[in-house]
Amino acid sequence: MDQLFVGIKTALLSMLGTFMPDWLVTVHSVLISATGIAIFGPLTMMYLTLIERKVVARMQNRLGPNRVGKFGLLQPVADGIKMLTKEDIVPYKADKLLHLLAPITIVVPALMVFAVLPFGRGMIAADLNVGILYFLAVSSTTTISIFIAGWGSHNKFALLGAMRAVAQMVSYEVPMVLSLVPALMIAGSLSTGAIVAAQAERWFAFTPWGFVAFIIFYLCGVAEVNRSPFDLAEAESEIVAGFHTEYSGMKFALFYMAEFMNTFTISALAATIFLGGWHGPFLPSWFWFLLKTYILIFVMIWFRGTLPRLRIDQLMGLAWKFLLPMALVNVVVAGFWYMSSGVIRTFGSIACLVVAFMVLTALNRPYVPEKREYTFAEN
Amino acid sequence: MTELTFIAQLGIYAMMFVVLAAAVAAVTLRNLFHCALALAGVLIGVAGMYLAMHAEFLAMVQILIYVGAVMTLIIFAIMLTQRLGAGDVAQNNKQSLFGAVAAAGFVVTLGGILWKTPWPVKEEAVTSSFSASDLGESLMTTYVLPFEIIAIVLFAVLIGAIVVARKDAPKGAEQ
Amino acid sequence: MEKTVTLQDSGAIDTQTLDINIGPQHPSTHGVFRMNMKLDGETVVSLKPVMGYLHRNHEQIAENMFYLGSMPYTDRLDYFNSMTNNFVYALTVEKLAQIEVPERADYIRVIMSELTRLVNHVSVTGFLLNDLGAFFTPVLYAFRERERILDIFEEVSGARMMCNYFRFGGVKYDLSGEALVAIKDVVSRFPKFLDEYEKLLTKNEILCMRCQNVGILSPELAISASITGPMLRASGVNYDIRKVDNYSIYDRFKFRVPLGKVGDVYDRYYVRILEMRESLKILEQALKEIPAGEIMAKKMAPFVKAPRNFKPPLGESYARVEAPKGELGIYIVSDGTPQPWRYHVRAPSFINLTILEDLCVGHKVADAVVILGSVDIVLGEVDR
Repeated sequence: MDQLFVGIKTALLSMLGTFMPDWLVTVHSVLISATGIAIFGPLTMMYLTLIERKVVARMQNRLGPNRVGKFGLLQPVADGIKMLTKEDIVPYKADKLLHLLAPITIVVPALMVFAVLPFGRGMIAADLNVGILYFLAVSSTTTISIFIAGWGSHNKFALLGAMRAVAQMVSYEVPMVLSLVPALMIAGSLSTGAIVAAQAERWFAFTPWGFVAFIIFYLCGVAEVNRSPFDLAEAESEIVAGFHTEYSGMKFALFYMAEFMNTFTISALAATIFLGGWHGPFLPSWFWFLLKTYILIFVMIWFRGTLPRLRIDQLMGLAWKFLLPMALVNVVVAGFWYMSSGVIRTFGSIACLVVAFMVLTALNRPYVPEKREYTFAEN
Repeated sequence: MTELTFIAQLGIYAMMFVVLAAAVAAVTLRNLFHCALALAGVLIGVAGMYLAMHAEFLAMVQILIYVGAVMTLIIFAIMLTQRLGAGDVAQNNKQSLFGAVAAAGFVVTLGGILWKTPWPVKEEAVTSSFSASDLGESLMTTYVLPFEIIAIVLFAVLIGAIVVARKDAPKGAEQ
Repeated sequence: MEKTVTLQDSGAIDTQTLDINIGPQHPSTHGVFRMNMKLDGETVVSLKPVMGYLHRNHEQIAENMFYLGSMPYTDRLDYFNSMTNNFVYALTVEKLAQIEVPERADYIRVIMSELTRLVNHVSVTGFLLNDLGAFFTPVLYAFRERERILDIFEEVSGARMMCNYFRFGGVKYDLSGEALVAIKDVVSRFPKFLDEYEKLLTKNEILCMRCQNVGILSPELAISASITGPMLRASGVNYDIRKVDNYSIYDRFKFRVPLGKVGDVYDRYYVRILEMRESLKILEQALKEIPAGEIMAKKMAPFVKAPRNFKPPLGESYARVEAPKGELGIYIVSDGTPQPWRYHVRAPSFINLTILEDLCVGHKVADAVVILGSVDIVLGEVDR
């Protein structure tokens, strides 16, 4: 059961090997993994949209979509058909090439990162030995795509939204990368498979530095994906839809797809690096991986349904003045953890992190809610 | 497996051709934004060539830094210099013939030098592969001085950027 | 297009201001309303509101219509609070024609007014949070309670929102026993709902970060610009028309007027929450004391079947109420005919919008939208 998918793949390959030369079998091995990802990615995205709508609806005391198919399970299919049959409107003065290029360049990296996720024991599509770096590099090309989308729409609102989004993504990349560094230090390798293997006895999130790194990485991940409470770039109430205002039909569907696939991959990466990947008792490894990922996705949806959104300067302030110093302190504490042992290592690191947190909170004083007094007129 | 290496070689040559075409496009296109995108294409292609030479770390860092950050900077700069996206910058002027002759002379000279020089390639450089940890170790031991100098330069750039951006602050929005 | 780059030490780089239009089609301008903004980066440099997209000639129509025929039109002024609009029109005409309203009708009017105030304040808080990005969750929580109140309105007057319930001299239908039970039920559930609502919102850090010290309105500016309603009271000015004028039977009820200190968006939000609690007190007292009796003045009995004959005496009158949005007033000049000579509505949303520029300049675009949400406008009233 655990090796279900690996078994299917080897069976397919041996079947192909009977009538194909060796090199073609190698090509097919890659192709089978790629096809698996190409099916899993968009399928996940489709059902993630449904899950989000139903969960947010339940939080708002109503049911979600439940007309199309039992429990609304065919709703994504209906959405897909709607998107496909919509008219593709390109603004008159917009640059047609750029308008077309933006959704493509945003979806391709989103799909590419599925290749380094360890879905289960022995189930990584490409176990690169620079896996994490590949993930970070590929997801950093999204900034250009957003720029292209904003510029190519020839719309002031879209440009405003695109610039905000790029500023946000670039600022949040720094604490994100820094928060991954302790995990890489302790695991000793950049490969996702090796990091999961290093968490066999104890997940990184159960260590002091790992816990802080997990929180920082998760928050930065939410900001990278442009979700609430950091969804300034698509703030419906201010600039209609930000950088994808002028997109309709399939191009908008591609943007939407990229956002949800990014949600999945960031949650999957957080689960891989900090929550032990596919480790877990009894149940198959890929089931544990998906369970952890979906719990993190649920928390993201919970954020969306509950919290209002931050303003651009508060957002940047949070990244540069709070998360970045915290991540730097965390790297030092992780080094200390590696070098020392015993009781002093636990208490020392926890003390260091708590002190750093309190100092930073005190330094960011203007962001704490004030207490207000309200009087009543006397009569 | 020879078929695979053959296909791989075809792919590498195709990629080199695309990189050259994108580089030509980056200097000849009229629309400045298209030029910037062609430049991004060149940088991604160069990363692909690093991958073909088994330097994965370098390829990933190339994409992360050049395409992710430097291109963003270049595009911001483009957007700040001109409000119009239409290409109204002249591509040629009266001195293009002289420029072509000078460029051709340069290419011939440099090409001759490159062709005649024997470039010794050590056997171990081709066959060895090293990991990111080797790279880190050498950065911290053999090449620590350049590393620190680059760190100081980047630090100065960061401070300079903050100072330049702050000068607007008392005049513009205060927060 | 001036862009000057000076390379001195004081590096002044002038950049262009960006001219954008927020609205009229926009998910969060609360209706068809346009704001012409000039932005410097993200900061608002100037803001000009452009209104009139929903102008429906309400006053002109009323001047050509017999008095009672304008009553359904007043429902549609501030389409959220139709009972209050009816109330002020009825008050004006009763003041003009010297009509005494029976006691039971007065109690019913006060109950309906305060229920409307609850509906409005809870919805506007939800919409403010919608502008802040909380994706409809507070709105839908608020609408749960609003639905119960709208059911009461439907029971009493036949319609959920456009009630057309008040008449000159009283109200049209009596409160049935079920309606009274439903109102008592709403009043008993509301405090618990408000506690839950406040627990989610009042101390929420993001709400505080976004709303505190944003859009501060000084009391002097508020008074000189004729701001009324919760906006005025959040700036600390003690002016509640229910206390000042004591119209209808408000002097019989014990309630307090909450005042804020700073006058920012957060204060306006919290003053509305406190006002809701005071409204609940008024409702409890009214439900306890409501007497039996008639609901229509004897003087107006002949006009029930023939409203077109109603001719108030010559003269003018201006009556105002504390609508949930501010001071809503109607000014009528009568020339003895069944149609008024002049009919004018003093709409609080319109007057409160005049200082939008002063509130928003210096803040960011995101703040401008939040400030607009806290002013609490309804375009039906602004444009009439």
